[in-house]
Amino acid sequence: MDDLIYTLKQQIIEALNLEDMTPEDIDENASLFGEGLGLDSIDALELIVLMEKNYGIKLKDPSQGKEIFKSVAVMADFIQKNRTK
Amino acid sequence: MGDKQMIVRVSDNIISPLGMSTAENYTAVKAGHSELKRRDGLWQLPEPFTASLMDREMVNEIAAQQHIDERYTFFEKMIILSAAKALEQTHIDPASDKVLFILSTTKGNVFLLDKRETGFPSERVLLGVAARQMSEYFRNPNTPIVVSNACISGVCAQIQAMRELESGHFDYVVTVGADVQSAFIVSGFQSFKALSVDPCKPFDANRTGLNLGDAAATIIYTKKDKVTDNDWVACRGAIRNDANHISGPSRTGEGSYRALRAVLGDTNPEKLAFINTHGTATLYNDEMESFAIERAGLSNVPVNGLKGYYGHTMGAAGILETILSMQAVDDNNILATRGFETIGVTHPLVLSNENKPTDKRAFIKLLSGFGGCNVALLMAKGGVS
Amino acid sequence: MMRHEVYITTNEVKVDGKVLSHNENGSALLTELYRAHVGDYPKFFKMDTLSKLGFVASELLLQAEGAPRFEPREDRAVVFFNRSASLQADTAYQETIQDPNNFYPSPAAFVYTLPNIVTGEIAIRNKYFGETSFIVMEHCDESIMARELQNAFLDPMTQSILGGWLDCTDENHFEANLFLVEKSHVPCSEVSCQQLNESTNNN
Repeated sequence: MDDLIYTLKQQIIEALNLEDMTPEDIDENASLFGEGLGLDSIDALELIVLMEKNYGIKLKDPSQGKEIFKSVAVMADFIQKNRTK
Repeated sequence: MGDKQMIVRVSDNIISPLGMSTAENYTAVKAGHSELKRRDGLWQLPEPFTASLMDREMVNEIAAQQHIDERYTFFEKMIILSAAKALEQTHIDPASDKVLFILSTTKGNVFLLDKRETGFPSERVLLGVAARQMSEYFRNPNTPIVVSNACISGVCAQIQAMRELESGHFDYVVTVGADVQSAFIVSGFQSFKALSVDPCKPFDANRTGLNLGDAAATIIYTKKDKVTDNDWVACRGAIRNDANHISGPSRTGEGSYRALRAVLGDTNPEKLAFINTHGTATLYNDEMESFAIERAGLSNVPVNGLKGYYGHTMGAAGILETILSMQAVDDNNILATRGFETIGVTHPLVLSNENKPTDKRAFIKLLSGFGGCNVALLMAKGGVS
Repeated sequence: MMRHEVYITTNEVKVDGKVLSHNENGSALLTELYRAHVGDYPKFFKMDTLSKLGFVASELLLQAEGAPRFEPREDRAVVFFNRSASLQADTAYQETIQDPNNFYPSPAAFVYTLPNIVTGEIAIRNKYFGETSFIVMEHCDESIMARELQNAFLDPMTQSILGGWLDCTDENHFEANLFLVEKSHVPCSEVSCQQLNESTNNN
């Protein structure tokens, strides 16, 4: 699980062009949107693509993202349970 | 209005899946027709989508009759045909240096970026080069101007035309708006989760997104000292930014409200037959527009939206929807908002899915788009006094 | 009012005619300029090259102007011109859909496939609620740009324009010639295409 969290942090940094950040800078329990990493609606859409591309997970309803993208830890947990690749 | 010269429509045309002339399009819309259809597997796209698309073979045949042959892309055929059909109703010599062509488009020949597309020089993907195909067809000596302001381009192009005439540089401006759909555009909107798989439902409680459509539309404008009661006058236009987000509209309708306020000026809202909205049927756009209209004090003016007939025709939308709104006022009619059933925005609007009578002679056209841009245009038959 | 102008190409930066020293070229130059002269706007890294170019050039321009910043205003328009529209972003997005076996359309790439997004980026940064517009033409033409800038002042709200040429064909080929122009000022003298057309021809 820790490996997945670390990989996921790397993938998020790359996909969202978080240029000045390293995986160590991201607290896996902190909120991704709003106060935490300060991501916005386009980032949320890009995270949906990230999950499909890297883990074969297709979100049927984009509003599911609200729950799944709470934090890196929540996202990793969802990926572990639902991944197809 | 005193001695001030006014900007007046000379002629217009719409080419869409509903017809090849303004009259055919208006008749079809008034009767509630639409060519919005579900497309499965089209252009090898993995997800289905609903769109209003031209019969490309038919366009090729009609274009060929006017010597618009295979040297031209489908997009170029559409813009040349629409301009030609608007010009043929007039005595304007398009080869005159007092005539300017303005093109409104967002993506032009973007399909040429697909590595599988061959047969056209790659420079035709440049919007200025595509526009030159049109101006050269008409032997016009002036460099055509392309307005590319996302979804608001079609109204921006008309404001541009008004300014070119007002500053005395040209006698006529041929304002052409067009976009043709492709895998590029559809997949992009799909990635934004902005498309509805079913026909769109503007302002409806159950709206789930927009549809896309092919169209080209043209309005020719000129300047007149004295207008008659039947002249359509482009009175005022304004472009304003939300300064908020590059893809999401301002929740408070900031830019749209400011544009509305600027074009309304001291015009009495009682004179407005309707406000023709952007009305894309996305959750945020329609909500935003309802707020902007309320803030501008126009909640009692009827509103409508035409995306339920054509989908979002992007660069064409502002011109196509302005033309149909002029037709509707000419016909003492407020066109129905097709797809709308139950109000689904929090700020009050006067909306209907049936045609309604009106005896008023002016309307406001609204659009909003990516980049936080918003535009409003006040059109009045006989001008506003 | 003093005239302010910023000129940036792949390997040259000038502010009000004075050369600004730098180490990098191409897209790395834009990042270098951002780090050296801005630094507090991480959204920069999400932008396409056209927006990065316009953003950095407008920052240098507004720093040269020296007026108070970030106050909401509606009286300043942003009006840009170019030849290539959003070609770099279009090409980047096309790459995400070119291969049917690796078909993952990127929303973050798609949003930049419109040239006017950069005008929105600058409006957001500076709280400009005024007109924003993008005009595309086949070649840089001084007389047309001057005409269009004068036309833009026909909106009675607009008192000044942050405008000029802003073109980008790919990550390493771009050119910006931005300036601030006031309503009272005749903009004809502001616009020079000579340098730009020469460098376009060299591409």
